Amino acid sequence: MTSDEALMLEFQGGSRAAFEELFARYRKPLYGFFARRLNNPERAEDLVQETFLAVVRAASRYEPRALVRTYLYGIALKLLAAEGRKFLTSKASGQSAPEPKTEGTPDCALWVRQALEKLDAPEREILMLREYEQLSYSDIAELLRIPVNTVRSRLFRARLALKSYLESEAKSNPALRASARQPHPGRRGMQ
Amino acid sequence: MSTNRHPIEQEELMAYLDGELPADQASEALSHLELCPQCQSLVANFRVVSQELMAWEVEAPEIGISSEINAALAERFQKRETAKVSWPRLENRVMTSRWVWAGALAIVCVAVGLTLTLISRNRNEDRSTAYPSMASIEQYLISDRNAEIALARSAAPESISSDAKILVLGWRGYETAREGKNGFVCVVERSWMSPFNSAEFWNPKVRVPGCFNPAAARSILPLTIKRTEMVLAGMSKAQMIDSIKAAFDNKELRAPEPGAMCYMMSRAGHLNDAIGHYTPHLMFYFPLTDQSSWGADLPDSPVALNRQFQGGPEPITVFVIPVGRWSDGTTAPAM
Repeated sequence: MTSDEALMLEFQGGSRAAFEELFARYRKPLYGFFARRLNNPERAEDLVQETFLAVVRAASRYEPRALVRTYLYGIALKLLAAEGRKFLTSKASGQSAPEPKTEGTPDCALWVRQALEKLDAPEREILMLREYEQLSYSDIAELLRIPVNTVRSRLFRARLALKSYLESEAKSNPALRASARQPHPGRRGMQ
Repeated sequence: MSTNRHPIEQEELMAYLDGELPADQASEALSHLELCPQCQSLVANFRVVSQELMAWEVEAPEIGISSEINAALAERFQKRETAKVSWPRLENRVMTSRWVWAGALAIVCVAVGLTLTLISRNRNEDRSTAYPSMASIEQYLISDRNAEIALARSAAPESISSDAKILVLGWRGYETAREGKNGFVCVVERSWMSPFNSAEFWNPKVRVPGCFNPAAARSILPLTIKRTEMVLAGMSKAQMIDSIKAAFDNKELRAPEPGAMCYMMSRAGHLNDAIGHYTPHLMFYFPLTDQSSWGADLPDSPVALNRQFQGGPEPITVFVIPVGRWSDGTTAPAM
């Protein structure tokens, strides 16, 4: 299988097929990245397109020092930050921001979302990058511009906090927790 | 939990689970984990957290390339074409003195060529001189026998490795550390199982845990044992190659048996400096076979040709298929 990095270099050299292959490989993981952080499927889809649009526009600046995967999530994180700023601006100007859409979200996802929301934002982001995007400690450190040891310690704290939340939730809401363990029909998982 | 009683920190244990510890520390972690109920409990908790998080799956819609991206692609490719076409025009207008330009170009090419050659040579020298000869035997041994047993077992899921025979490397070669019941044999291979021309043939950091199924234990493992004995006897590479060829000729070593395969799903291995612990995978052994018969290395094929014995004295072809999980059941990062 051709590596992502080789595909990126082929794309830089003018191959549309290489771009299409990268798009096919990363559209679903990137959608998952945005969907989990925004809870807005339409906006998540738009931001996947914006990520790849940024790739096309900045293709000549890509250097094969970083993994394409890290490069893509770097762009995605910047877009997400911009999205957050837009939300704050619209809030300040009195406009109502779109409500997160939760209809159709299975109970298990709701529970996990609630659990993650209880974490401090920096720890939550590191945990999500590790668990959902499967990035290495050094990739996360590079993306967030923090030392690898900080990644490790925050990840450790996040997991302990989540475990503690798990335990208390299991006692207070056993029905919801039980539903979280049921397989969701039609799940395909992250690519 | 008092750190006095635990040779590794809890954070390190977590890093081990994430495949983020160097091989020597991972081996230590694994060894400790086998014996420490407290750490086993912590690890179980981390696994539960990961499993719970995985409950949040996202169903992605079919996303196609947008018209905006298509337009940007068209613009990008158009610019490239324009740039190509515009060179001759530029040449007509500006290059009044063709010979001056040609001379300058030649000088630049020579300079760039020399620079690249030097860089390439330096890099190759770095790789080939990093491990130019065999290190002392101690460096290849794992002093903690239990750590080596645990590392060997980590190659396959517990359902397989717990009943497998375990070999560990000693001063005189591999020795049996645990008898098995299921015909599998788990062992930690060292750097000399790399191709003979590998720059890391003598890398003492290499630790490759594998669990051979019964067919491979009978027909492939003897290669590991033979190469190891020759290395420890101080033979040169040339002598080893000759000896292996002779061993196949006189049937001391045999072609792979049908169905010979090996589990390599440890997160604690160190296959070489370039790829670290790599990704969990299975290896399948055959007498010399055309790689196209398995579709190996073709675009999108999950099967890869392992070049371990390519061009070597062993008439064996090895195919590799990555799998998505480490032997402990946790998800491995995508390749």
